[in-house]
Amino acid sequence: MSVSELKERHVAATETVNSLRERLKQKRLLLLDTDIVRYARAQGRSPVSFGPTDLVCCRTLQGHTGKVYSLDWTPERNRIVSASQDGRLIVWNALTSQKTHAIKLPCAWVMTCAFSPAGQSVACGGLDSVCSIFNLNSPTDKDGNLPVSRMLSGHKGYVSSCQYVPDEDTHLITSSGDQTCVLWDITTGLRTSVFGGEFQSGHTADVLSVSINGSNSRMFVSGSCDSTARLWDTRVASRAVRTFHGHEGDVNAVKFFPDGYRFGTGSDDGTCRLFDIRTGHQLQVYYQHQGDNEIPHVTSIAFSISGRLLFAGYSNGDFYVWDTLLAEVVLNLGSLQNSHESRISCLGLSADGSALCTGSWDTNLKIWAFGGHRRMHCAVGRFLCILVKLVWFENHVNVLSPVILM
Amino acid sequence: MPPDTEDGVQYSFALEYTGPPVGYDIPRAVPINVNKIPVAAVVSHINFPQKITVPVVKPLLPSSDPSKNPNSVNIGENPGKDCGSEEAVITVSPTSVIERAADSNLQECVFSGELSSSGLLNDGGRSSSAIEFSGSFGDKSRDESLSKLRISNELSSNRDWESNESVLSSVDVDDEYPSSRVSSVKVSNNEVNGEGRKAPAVTFRDIESGDGVGGDAGGDIDDGFEGNEGFFEEEERVMRVKREARSKGKKGSCYRCFKGNRFTEKEVCLVCDAKYCSNCVLRAMGSMPEGRKCVTCIGFPIDEPKRGSLGKCSRMLKRLLNDLEVRQIMKAEKLCEANQLPPEYVYVNGEPLCHEELVILQTCSNPPKKMKPGNYWYDKVSGLWGKEGQKPSQIISAHLNVGGPIKGDASDGNTQVFMNGREITKVELRMLQLAGVQCAGNPHFWVNEDGSYQEEGQKNTKGYIWGKAGMKLVCAFLSLPVPSKPSNSCGEQVNSLISRSVPDYLEQRTLLKLLLVGYNGSGTSTIFKQAKILYKPVPFTEDERENIKLTIQSNVYGYLGILLEGRDRFEEESLAAMKKEQSTDETETIGSTSNTSCQTIYSIGPRLKAFSDWLLKTMVSGNLEAIFPAATREYAPLVEELWKDAAIQSTYKRRNELEMLPSVSSYFLERAVDILRTDYEPSDLDILYAEGVTSSNGLACLDFSYPQSASDDKYDPEDQHDALLRYQLISVHARGLGENCKWLEMFEDVGMVIFCVAMSDYDQFTVDGNGSYTNKMMLSKKFFESIVTHPTFEQMDFLLILNKFDLFEEKIERVPLTQCDWFHDFLPLISRHRSNNNSNSINNSPSLGQLGAHYMAVKFKRLYASLTGRKLYASVVKGLEPDSVDAALKYAREILKWDEEKPNFSLSEYSMYSTEASSYSP
Repeated sequence: MSVSELKERHVAATETVNSLRERLKQKRLLLLDTDIVRYARAQGRSPVSFGPTDLVCCRTLQGHTGKVYSLDWTPERNRIVSASQDGRLIVWNALTSQKTHAIKLPCAWVMTCAFSPAGQSVACGGLDSVCSIFNLNSPTDKDGNLPVSRMLSGHKGYVSSCQYVPDEDTHLITSSGDQTCVLWDITTGLRTSVFGGEFQSGHTADVLSVSINGSNSRMFVSGSCDSTARLWDTRVASRAVRTFHGHEGDVNAVKFFPDGYRFGTGSDDGTCRLFDIRTGHQLQVYYQHQGDNEIPHVTSIAFSISGRLLFAGYSNGDFYVWDTLLAEVVLNLGSLQNSHESRISCLGLSADGSALCTGSWDTNLKIWAFGGHRRMHCAVGRFLCILVKLVWFENHVNVLSPVILM
Repeated sequence: MPPDTEDGVQYSFALEYTGPPVGYDIPRAVPINVNKIPVAAVVSHINFPQKITVPVVKPLLPSSDPSKNPNSVNIGENPGKDCGSEEAVITVSPTSVIERAADSNLQECVFSGELSSSGLLNDGGRSSSAIEFSGSFGDKSRDESLSKLRISNELSSNRDWESNESVLSSVDVDDEYPSSRVSSVKVSNNEVNGEGRKAPAVTFRDIESGDGVGGDAGGDIDDGFEGNEGFFEEEERVMRVKREARSKGKKGSCYRCFKGNRFTEKEVCLVCDAKYCSNCVLRAMGSMPEGRKCVTCIGFPIDEPKRGSLGKCSRMLKRLLNDLEVRQIMKAEKLCEANQLPPEYVYVNGEPLCHEELVILQTCSNPPKKMKPGNYWYDKVSGLWGKEGQKPSQIISAHLNVGGPIKGDASDGNTQVFMNGREITKVELRMLQLAGVQCAGNPHFWVNEDGSYQEEGQKNTKGYIWGKAGMKLVCAFLSLPVPSKPSNSCGEQVNSLISRSVPDYLEQRTLLKLLLVGYNGSGTSTIFKQAKILYKPVPFTEDERENIKLTIQSNVYGYLGILLEGRDRFEEESLAAMKKEQSTDETETIGSTSNTSCQTIYSIGPRLKAFSDWLLKTMVSGNLEAIFPAATREYAPLVEELWKDAAIQSTYKRRNELEMLPSVSSYFLERAVDILRTDYEPSDLDILYAEGVTSSNGLACLDFSYPQSASDDKYDPEDQHDALLRYQLISVHARGLGENCKWLEMFEDVGMVIFCVAMSDYDQFTVDGNGSYTNKMMLSKKFFESIVTHPTFEQMDFLLILNKFDLFEEKIERVPLTQCDWFHDFLPLISRHRSNNNSNSINNSPSLGQLGAHYMAVKFKRLYASLTGRKLYASVVKGLEPDSVDAALKYAREILKWDEEKPNFSLSEYSMYSTEASSYSP
């Protein structure tokens, strides 16, 4: 078979795939009799009302000297790890807003970081294509630097995102510019499985983000520059469980919905979308029309603990809080006076849901918490509000309480 | 002649002169640019009896009150006495709004004072500090005009404010230190305190105003704080007065909650003296990125008397925070840039230090202890160091190039005995006498750093001062210093400067980053390796060499595999051809040729065939790396046999037909037998040739400094600066990092981008991302375009490296450059008589290769200019020749230097004094 013949067949096959994809889209549209907005309206859901002071900045974490690229909270205890282009990881105590560790990295071009579930170690990855693990308890060397406790090397492109498998300190999933995601065994430092790549059906461009299902840690989604998101099962590395089309630009961020049946995406096309992993349908698009100038990219997203709110950071410095049900912008934190001065590059919700942390290219991190005086329907709600305030606004540094944003 | 005349009959009053040339100068009308008409000139130097300079004026804030809104028109009209009245407003103004307006008017006054050069700046408190300003007037007037420019921006749009802030801050930094030097010139600390208290003419009530707004709700406090923050910071930079917080509450209470009394435990801000109780300290000081400072004081230099307490933790903090947190705060406090000793405060031998000098002083092997702002003397020959007017306190490293020449009266001695040109004190004389030095007749000594001394004008060393037993005791008794240990020689010091660990903030500032990018196969890795070999004392560690060896060996197996694949193909082809021939021949000779027909020159024996099949199979399955190093041991003899086989040799002869085979492979294949031995040690040249050696994972970086050549040995501040500067070469592989260049924005702080293009690519084709067959040069061009136009590199300098000139020179003789569409208009004018290349390079007619290289550079320059409107630097390089790469990288350094010297209006990269860490990039 000659090369030209092969090429022809390839072109034909591509066309077929495209037409099938189009038909699939049509079919899905037919099946989609309603979207969340209409359904929610039909159910008589009212939009979340949010006053301008309901979510206020209560801490500013200063200390980085470069653009902040990534952050992660610990599951318990209010600690944050952040990665910045100054080549440092900083571990913060979010309540006191003090640093507890400043880790100088061997490679300054770090793109992602993650806290281990037990809070004993942090992982980071970047342009050096290696995911480095630091044990926070290990002794520092003579220059006061924390040594790398393990290097997970094997990626052939930059490490764009990493996340620990919930409740397992020994497993970690990374995504990379080499179009693959990898599940690692940290104790051995070896790849357990590789998702995607040359010989398997996987992403066809850089993978930018992963998110592991909180309720079923075998499932995770990945978002990629091929403008798709894919759902993977860690037991079946050979192929993606499902591919989610819809975005018209690189998918920069993916995040599982708290219930584990849906996930959200944020993309260069300026939209956030909500997909259902069971049906494969796109449930909702979140897009704010910006006028005729350039569409800002969505850099990072996070859901509130109930899932009713979607926080999305944009490349122009906007920071919207969306009502996920009604697809309405409830608040733009980026327009507040004390907001970040530059693009918001990462966000994360604390595990208890009481606070949101944002990292920005202006080198600062900010913690946002509920600061309003709203009456809640039930007594518990009121109580929680007060507790949130206690924790984040007063100096009760040691209050440990279950407090929820929404 | 104005150009208009040629096309207009209607301009009949002027016609073009066509007559014979005239012998005299024709008067010309100079076009007037309305915007550039000089309105008012700055008064010249001579009016000032003393050195007077004026503080830089910052742009005014758009005030909430339009009537008070200052603009550039009324600047000159504002009479000086207004200042006083405005001042009064400030001291009584209870709310921040009025204060704001008043302050902005106040600046205006300063501004007017500047323009009229009256020299009377505001009130007495200010003028006392104004007198002390150093620096030339000319400089300031430039800055001033700059800020004048800014003002209009300010007024028109509030949005610009943020962006201008950084610019202005760096403008102001120059002036910051001298103004507050008032207090520090006089060494005594008491005086400093006293002056500090007197000096402030304006105080800023940021603390209270923050509290005033939101005393009740915690969240609001933060709002108030941060809202005001920017404004006050801006203010403070201009009116460089000591920051002083003022408490609204009763004396001794906390500055934030107004509770408590003077006996409650409080933490003090290092800058403004504000005191906070344990409840408020964390809120008022935030995350303490620079140690214990109020949130509003972050970025300001500390109050000098408090320098001693840097890094010393109070009990309160220890109680409030855990151990790790406290440690981090103290570390930040000691090491952050804003808290470092400002070099202008330190005078050595009567001259203020510049930044580099201070760094040299602090990083030398024997640094002065407890350096405080003040006047010091330093004896460069012996390394003696002391406070001005006092006996020596320490012996530091000698021969440091800091400060001016030592003065005779530096230590205020009256003994008439001179040591290295300094009149020594009585105590020293006593010590010398005890050391057995003959001091009769008021001799002048030369004392070296090792303690050897000689009389002035004589050559022979007379002895060692500290050599005698018991001298240590004597010195301790007289509280004089002794040399701590044999000090290093000067040469060692220069070297150790590079390897020494420097504080982080310094490292950031002295590190210049060069980003090296290029399309696949453009030779970026060769240049990177070459730089490593050039500038590193140990280019590759043992481990690296071992890895490189394995890489090279597996590469060679790969090349062999390609050869074998080719052999298969050739065999099939020749068999097919043979069959065809046979079938045509068959009619004539029905002979028994079937035996020979299976044998072509490309056939190999069964054993080699088995090996070849195995190798091809491993290659296809993609785990070639997995078989090492076992394969080397096992197959080395086989490889030897294979390589010597006629079939392989004949395939190798046809290597031009094998597209997969890279051009470097012949270098290795010809030595395949040697390389595949287990005891093979790669040479530097092997490493240079090898593919995939520098971290295949996308990014490699190399910290280096250009070695000082013997010629620029002489000390010169410029050179010193250079010695501190370190460079970082970052090599990025486009392949490993995806086509979307998502990572590119991480490199916005690099000083320059070096873009590598392989010149010999012009006739090569490869499959691009869309699956079409494209010229590699065009792909390079496309990549170049995408990098150059990337928003991250908007103002970046680019250096184009035209690599592989050696290959190109050779190739252009065979393949015309017009092979590539982009170079279709290359029509070189070449003399026909070119007897041989060697002689040709000597006489001046350039070779075809040089012409081609020049043409290509021009092509890229035009492309660059059309894309960005700026100038592209280009350099032709042979990646395999060290000198060539060295020259290109030195050229890069020159470009960076030019950049710094360029007059720059944004001034944000006014590097050494800027507060931003990585401010080299525009």
